[in-house]
Amino acid sequence: MNPVLKAEDVRKSYGRHQVLRGVDLTVAPGQLVAVVGENGAGKSTLLNCLAGTLVADHGRIDLNGTLGHCPQEPVLSGSLTVEQHLRYFAAAYRLSTMDSGVRLVEQLGYTGFLGTPAADLSGGTRQKLNLTLALLHEPDVLLLDEPYQGFDWETYLRFWDLVRDLRTGGTAIVIITHLVFEQDRFDTLADLTDGRLTARAEIGSTHA
Amino acid sequence: MPDLATPRPRYGQFTTALRFAVRNQTRNRLAGILLVAFVPVWYLLMQNLVGHQTLSFRLFATGTVLTVDGGRLTLISAGLNSLTLIVGFAVFDAIRKALAFDRRLVFAGYWQHALITAKTLAVTLIAAAVAGYGALVLLAFWRPAPTAWLAILAGYTVITLTYGAFGLLLGVLVRGDLEGFFLIIMGGLLDTFLQNPLGNPLANKPVLQWFPSFGPMQFAVGGAFGHTALWGHLALGLVWTAGFALAGLVIFRIRTRGRRQVSRSLPVVPREVAG
Repeated sequence: MNPVLKAEDVRKSYGRHQVLRGVDLTVAPGQLVAVVGENGAGKSTLLNCLAGTLVADHGRIDLNGTLGHCPQEPVLSGSLTVEQHLRYFAAAYRLSTMDSGVRLVEQLGYTGFLGTPAADLSGGTRQKLNLTLALLHEPDVLLLDEPYQGFDWETYLRFWDLVRDLRTGGTAIVIITHLVFEQDRFDTLADLTDGRLTARAEIGSTHA
Repeated sequence: MPDLATPRPRYGQFTTALRFAVRNQTRNRLAGILLVAFVPVWYLLMQNLVGHQTLSFRLFATGTVLTVDGGRLTLISAGLNSLTLIVGFAVFDAIRKALAFDRRLVFAGYWQHALITAKTLAVTLIAAAVAGYGALVLLAFWRPAPTAWLAILAGYTVITLTYGAFGLLLGVLVRGDLEGFFLIIMGGLLDTFLQNPLGNPLANKPVLQWFPSFGPMQFAVGGAFGHTALWGHLALGLVWTAGFALAGLVIFRIRTRGRRQVSRSLPVVPREVAG
């Protein structure tokens, strides 16, 4: 199966500090990959390079399909309500309806906040909206940076239900995290150490 | 499933962007309070401080030196002064806060031109509304002839447009709140204060021509006291507006554009994660 995302020899430095020293990553449709690393290992730098929001110094990144990117810090507009965010991003993705957004809000369990401005949302609900905006268009590749920070247990479980549904639909998912609680949820765990990505284990099948 | 087979036309993004840009611009409560409370108080204060002493004001287009009521001249100057600060502050705050969000929208597929056009139009609408409000409040302190009032309104509109564009430029250029507020306050105060001959020995000197409020002040005073319409000076104010807006929008475009180093549908050899 052809990969939907392939990175080759990606390097990135900040001044003299080399953060990424040649990262290779290949992700197949429906695959769930965790990129694990300590604080400051360069996980967010890698994800931003993959997402195209940061220019790598060297290397090649090929994307075969649509992309959804959920940054670590929610990027929202404080004055707009949840529903207005959905409308704005439906326009960005050129969707003719808001159905997918409303469905995601129901699935993540924050329907009661549709009319609430983002500035008045709790940290966890802001994170849910942050995730929803990356998912509205059902992308082929989803890049998530510490997506479940601030989630309570119920939301954490709902998140994994959502991941399961997305993978069933063929979406490949790359999750950046500094802690992996349940390794068997992932197809692949890759450690980002000394600026390079090393496969830790092949855990399950593509659709575990 | 989202309806991806028949994507919505791209021009539809403009109306959505305009609606939310106007909403963003009008959500600044402090700017709203300043507009409602500060403008009339500032008019009142300046009028009472100055009284009705006589001042000389040079119209540079004609070389005429007008002898005017200092209190009324200061009312015009106070309007320019307060409105520049409020519009500059409101636009700067809204643009700066929305920049990361706008960038995310563009990365998600939002048409940059739709966002840029919507922001330009939103700033124009806000600036015109604030200018209209300032000119209306002025009527509580002074009832000039209709043409004189229209000249003041035109001067107010151009200076609010200029400082709206200045706020936009700072919003995409300056990293912190403090730097932006400082530049707007210092710039606005210096610029508008220098145009008033009251207590300013530099007033009526050619050096004033190099400040943004020179054109609008000349037009407003010429229309209010000299029965003349100095269109060239009004246009000069619009040149400042265009300069600030152009610089701001170019930087906005650069700071929100995609930097993707990605090629699509490239045939590659599949492999798993490798070290």
